[in-house]
Amino acid sequence: MTVPFAAKRLGKELQKISNSLPPGVELVSAENFEEWLLDIKVLDNNPIYQNQTYRLKFRFGPSYPIEPPEVVFVQLPDRPIPMHPHVYSNGIICLDLLGQQGWSPVQNVESVCMSLQSMLTGNSKDERPPGDEDFVRANRQRPKDIQFYYHDNNV
Amino acid sequence: MPPPNTPEEGVAATTLRPADDDNFRASSPSSAMAHASQEDAYVSSLDYQNIEYVEPVDETLLCPVCRTPFHSPITTPCGHTFCAGCINRALETQPRCPIDRQPINKTCDYGRLPLIIKEQLDRLQVRCPNKGCDYQCPREHLEGHYERRCDYTQVRCPDSTCSQLTPRRDSAVENGCLHKDAICEFCDKTVAFVEMDTHYSFDCEGAMTECPGCGEQVVRHCLVKHRAQDCAEETTPCKWHTGGCKVVDKRRIVQDHEQSGCPSEAVGRLIQQQVEDRKIIDELVRRLNKFELAQGKNPERRFTQRARVGSSMASSSRNPTTANVPDITLNNNMPPLFPDSTDDAVGGSPEDYLLAQFERLETEVELLRKQALEMDAHQSHIIHQQATHFNEHLAEIGNKVGVVNMHMSWLMSLQRQNHAQQRAGSAAGSANSGMSHGSATSGARPGSSGEGSSTGESRRNSEGRSETLHRL
Repeated sequence: MTVPFAAKRLGKELQKISNSLPPGVELVSAENFEEWLLDIKVLDNNPIYQNQTYRLKFRFGPSYPIEPPEVVFVQLPDRPIPMHPHVYSNGIICLDLLGQQGWSPVQNVESVCMSLQSMLTGNSKDERPPGDEDFVRANRQRPKDIQFYYHDNNV
Repeated sequence: MPPPNTPEEGVAATTLRPADDDNFRASSPSSAMAHASQEDAYVSSLDYQNIEYVEPVDETLLCPVCRTPFHSPITTPCGHTFCAGCINRALETQPRCPIDRQPINKTCDYGRLPLIIKEQLDRLQVRCPNKGCDYQCPREHLEGHYERRCDYTQVRCPDSTCSQLTPRRDSAVENGCLHKDAICEFCDKTVAFVEMDTHYSFDCEGAMTECPGCGEQVVRHCLVKHRAQDCAEETTPCKWHTGGCKVVDKRRIVQDHEQSGCPSEAVGRLIQQQVEDRKIIDELVRRLNKFELAQGKNPERRFTQRARVGSSMASSSRNPTTANVPDITLNNNMPPLFPDSTDDAVGGSPEDYLLAQFERLETEVELLRKQALEMDAHQSHIIHQQATHFNEHLAEIGNKVGVVNMHMSWLMSLQRQNHAQQRAGSAAGSANSGMSHGSATSGARPGSSGEGSSTGESRRNSEGRSETLHRL
């Protein structure tokens, strides 16, 4: 039952975002209802992110939108991982919106992209989260299973 | 980019999936009825999230969770509205409102949904989700159409041993199971009977054949139709042969002949027109005969007709401005030439007529009954008013009688007092004279007179008391 539910909802979202997307967000591919790729840009003049485009990978479980999607940055030759105290260098994002607690079924792909845009826009620290190297080396978990410790709620 | 899940696929998935929405839609009594009466229970219930809406639906009527127009919506205590299914699913994971994160749970008191929202949702125009069906209706009627009437809804195969589904239009028991394999008569392949049409049109190897007349490639099972209607080399008479045209040739020649102007065209058109007129006249005659038959055979009808006239007279006597008895009788005598005849009582069979009469009489009786009740209420009201009036009068009279009574007793006691005084005076006188008359009688008299005076005293006392009461 949940599989068609996610597909139905994603079908509606796709219909909507193929027509219009907020500025700085672009749909790259949505071949199925399991994995979508989108590009985001930071629109203001934040020097850390100027002239860069970032690739986001959404993975949807069968219980989407009840459960949050898994959202990570993907590294490609022309798509770096943005520098941010909540973004690990392997692309994993530490954002409460994407965790079980912070997620709400009324969120959607578009709203997640916009939240990430504003998360980058508001940042002024050109750095990785503390313990980034250890985390990247050791982590074999899926992003949604990681119990993040939110080091700093101000960023 | 087109969504990978095209609408067709979605529909097919919906119709073939077993009824899995039942957690959210308990099977309704209507569906049970359909099952009992038709034995072709639809297998999948209507999936509201897959319905196609004719026009874009206003954003405010979309459930924030599933992004489709609300289906059996509820409103949370914090004032947000969701489909019942969606909010219940969301609350299983997190007992909070998805919008403002206020703590709520499944057992909480959901507010009543304003009827205006329900109405708006009910009126949305939707398309039937069944492939092949192009029915459109307001959403509230879709379920009935889908579950009971749509010819394309997948229902159980009439053969109880077969577990497959079949569209309702093919599900008549006499059709038998259409999933049994049949052998294609053109290519010897084994194909399920129900898919034979698709097979012919797409993958039958022997399907395409050359028309022996024109040499055109046609689908084999359409050959007969092709030869009768389209084949250019087939011999056919001119379209206006009814008008006397004698041309009979291959179709392409005949078509040229028709286009260049057949001399019989004018006559042919006239005859065509006449044939159509004739059909209409025949129909009218048939109706007229039926009506006359009904009138002759049905003496009751006359009776009801009379009753009708009588009651219309009655109604006209009540309301003289609408008296049109002659019109009504005239209408009654007119045969129902057209089905859209305005006089509702006359169109149709005698049974309909009787029923109409019966209904009308019933309403008449109902009206009379109402009036009687009104009269009754009015009467009792008047009686009640008058009765209270009389009661007041009676009380007043009673008071006055009491006053008169008191006056009377006062006067009586005064009288008695005077009388007693006189008697005492005379008794004293007679006692003095009695002494001289004899002692034998006087011995008894003082006792009796003493008694008399004592009663007089007590009387006076009691009267005196009532007198003081009266004065007070």
